[in-house]
Amino acid sequence: MKLITAILKPFKLDDVKSSLQALGVNGMTVSEASGFGRQRGHTEVYRGAEYTVDLVPKVRLEVIVDDADVESVVGAIVKAANTGSIGDGKVWVTSIEQIVRVRTGERGTEAI
Amino acid sequence: MGLPERKARSNESDSYLSHLYLEAGKPNGITLVAVGGYGRGELSPGSDLDLLILHDGSLANLSEFVNSLLYPIWDRQGPATLPKSIDYSVRTPKETKEAWQDLKVALGLLDARYICGNFAQFEAVKNDAELAWKRDRLEELRMSLNERHERFGDLAYLLEPDIKEARGGLRDINALRAISRSEAININTDQLDDFEERLLNVRDSLHKVSGRDKDLLLFQEQDKVAADLGLADADVLMGQVATIARSIDYLLNVAWHKYDNRKSKFTFRKSKPTNVGKNIGVDNHEVIIEAIDPTVGMRAAAKASQLGLPISIDSCELIKGIGLDNPWPREAREDLVAFIGGGSAMERVWEALDQAGIIEEWLPEWGSVRSLPQRNALHRHTVDRHMVETAIVAAKLTRTVHRPDLLLIGSLFHDIGKGTEEDHSDRGEKLIAPIARRIGFSESDIKTLQFLVKHHLLLSSTATRRDLDDPATIQSIIDVVPDMQHLELLHALSIADGEATGKAAWSDWKARLVRDLVNRVKSAMKGTLVAPEMELNEGQIKEAENGTLKVSISESSGSYAIEIIAPDSTGLFSIVAGTLNLLKLDIRAAKTRTHGKSAVMTWIVNLDPFATLPTDTDISEALKEALADNEKLKQRIDAKVKSYAPLPGVPVPPPEVEIIEDLATNATIIEIRSHDRPALLYRIGAAVKQLEIDIRSVIASTLGAEAIDTLYVTEISGEKLARNKAEEVVASIRLAID
Repeated sequence: MKLITAILKPFKLDDVKSSLQALGVNGMTVSEASGFGRQRGHTEVYRGAEYTVDLVPKVRLEVIVDDADVESVVGAIVKAANTGSIGDGKVWVTSIEQIVRVRTGERGTEAI
Repeated sequence: MGLPERKARSNESDSYLSHLYLEAGKPNGITLVAVGGYGRGELSPGSDLDLLILHDGSLANLSEFVNSLLYPIWDRQGPATLPKSIDYSVRTPKETKEAWQDLKVALGLLDARYICGNFAQFEAVKNDAELAWKRDRLEELRMSLNERHERFGDLAYLLEPDIKEARGGLRDINALRAISRSEAININTDQLDDFEERLLNVRDSLHKVSGRDKDLLLFQEQDKVAADLGLADADVLMGQVATIARSIDYLLNVAWHKYDNRKSKFTFRKSKPTNVGKNIGVDNHEVIIEAIDPTVGMRAAAKASQLGLPISIDSCELIKGIGLDNPWPREAREDLVAFIGGGSAMERVWEALDQAGIIEEWLPEWGSVRSLPQRNALHRHTVDRHMVETAIVAAKLTRTVHRPDLLLIGSLFHDIGKGTEEDHSDRGEKLIAPIARRIGFSESDIKTLQFLVKHHLLLSSTATRRDLDDPATIQSIIDVVPDMQHLELLHALSIADGEATGKAAWSDWKARLVRDLVNRVKSAMKGTLVAPEMELNEGQIKEAENGTLKVSISESSGSYAIEIIAPDSTGLFSIVAGTLNLLKLDIRAAKTRTHGKSAVMTWIVNLDPFATLPTDTDISEALKEALADNEKLKQRIDAKVKSYAPLPGVPVPPPEVEIIEDLATNATIIEIRSHDRPALLYRIGAAVKQLEIDIRSVIASTLGAEAIDTLYVTEISGEKLARNKAEEVVASIRLAID
């Protein structure tokens, strides 16, 4: 079992959600996030005054999948989130020791 | 389920406790007393068993007896209907008296009921408790109620309320009974049994369908409770709950009002009400109506809201049925804006008027959203309360826009279209037009209000769903938003709506995305927000060229228009503003422009209460006097302003004074956005005068309680001010009005 975490541009969330749903991924956690990568924020001009926006709004999406589904899910996220411009985000995969579904007590892949 | 079951549950508990008492050998000097809810002889499925074990201290094995009573209950050996938890105390009559200090104990004892044991012992304690309650503890009760209401909110307005603890809920019914039993005041408790029975039925059903003894009416349970009670759906259920809660809350408000009046009767010093406007005064820390006139209700509401005081319940009764003309007079429109612009102080005034039915008399459309629930995980409040909350947040944002009146009205009605299958923004756009027309807004303002209601979700939905780096996204906003003024209004409304909805809907994250979008649109938009200089007509130009003082006053839609043409001189603007102020004229708007050696001025004013309308000659003479002796004018204004000082007020955002860059004019433009205050224009004019510069034009307007003034200033030689000089002007004005 793997945890796939993706940092995305907020407006791409709907597209990513639809592609994951098309793959049969039904559960995900989405949270509001802020940060910057190589993009380093950007500079705004408002009423003549320049100011730096160093933290850029992003969304953080987390999905837990079976090992066999990792490639297809990561691929779907990357495809849907890509605009080709800087600040498109990152996706990373981490291993999971155990999962328990709180309601039923099911464990492992049954709980995904 | 219902009253018979609650009584049966209580009776069964009585029997079981009596049985345990008998089994323990009917020990002498022991009495079992039901208190609190159990004392009232009604137990819901999730209620506690509130028990007082009275003893006279003579029983050697008291703890053994208590254990023989409690263990069978804890071990659930009694009847199935016996409450699962028991809230008990073991006290002697003396200890019980000491425990009265605790308000909760004192209230619980008011409902004390004998179960078994020594009746004389019970009676003595009960009588003592009732007597003790009549020694005034109502102030303490009020404080505890206020704390609880603060914590649990309003049963009538919350989407997921606590039916017991929230304002207007079951605990308040008991509080009303306790107030009545204190005999401090007479209150009508006829309906309380009915209200209580209906709320208890909802609570019983909630306990039943949820299988838990919690009183929070969550979304997930509402439909089940409605079905269990035989109601059509959750909306019907919540509508009924809200109606009861409002009635309870109203009874409580009336009770406190009577209590305060009774207290003030006992004070020997009977002060005269302080007059704060035509036919309205402040008496005993509330705004009262002293005589009826067609717009007195809205004036009283505005004053109460702006002073941060409640409006008297008796006064609300007085204005019932008066209504307002269609369209409303200008004064009523401005007072509505000042009323809803009072920020959080507005809420209790609004509620008092709403409970008395006045809001619906003024704004019949409000009835369609009153207590209207909304099934939305982001929202906390019913539609009506959400709109009131939005207007409260909007009052903090009035400095960010050039039309605070439209922001406030737009906020108050932005969700007016909710309640049908139709898209609420589309429906709201249609509904707001007749409302705004009746309130007396111009056709172009009505269009702006329609725009705000229709597009109030545009910025937040675009900011979170579209690529802000894509020029097409920015263009899509420009295609809809006609100019900067609409953009700033829409931005402020988005913030107010989001903040009023709650943290789930409006995080810093979302606020930042929306701000980013708005800044990008602003950069791409052309145009300016500066009020243009006054255009002079041929007659005015001719008079200005004559160069003599000329004054004329005429009535204009409930207010007065004063045209003054006078030889221009440094400080003329502040002198005229100050003179009008001393003539007891409240300046609502002004436009002035220098032409040659004269200044042409148009002032829109209202007459202060108790003032007589000055004639053209009165104004001319007063002006001549003020021009001859500036210092005396200043002293008189200072004295007048000082006389206003003792009245309270609500917190308002600090004033904004800004230099606006506009290449289209050869003057420097200074814009001031401030809360209106006595002699504001006089102070601004005086601040500019001391810097030896010329005011070429002024465009001043008062919108409700907010003022927006634009000054076109130049050096005496007629040139634009250097940047540092302009900044000096800004600092000087800020100092004068802050």
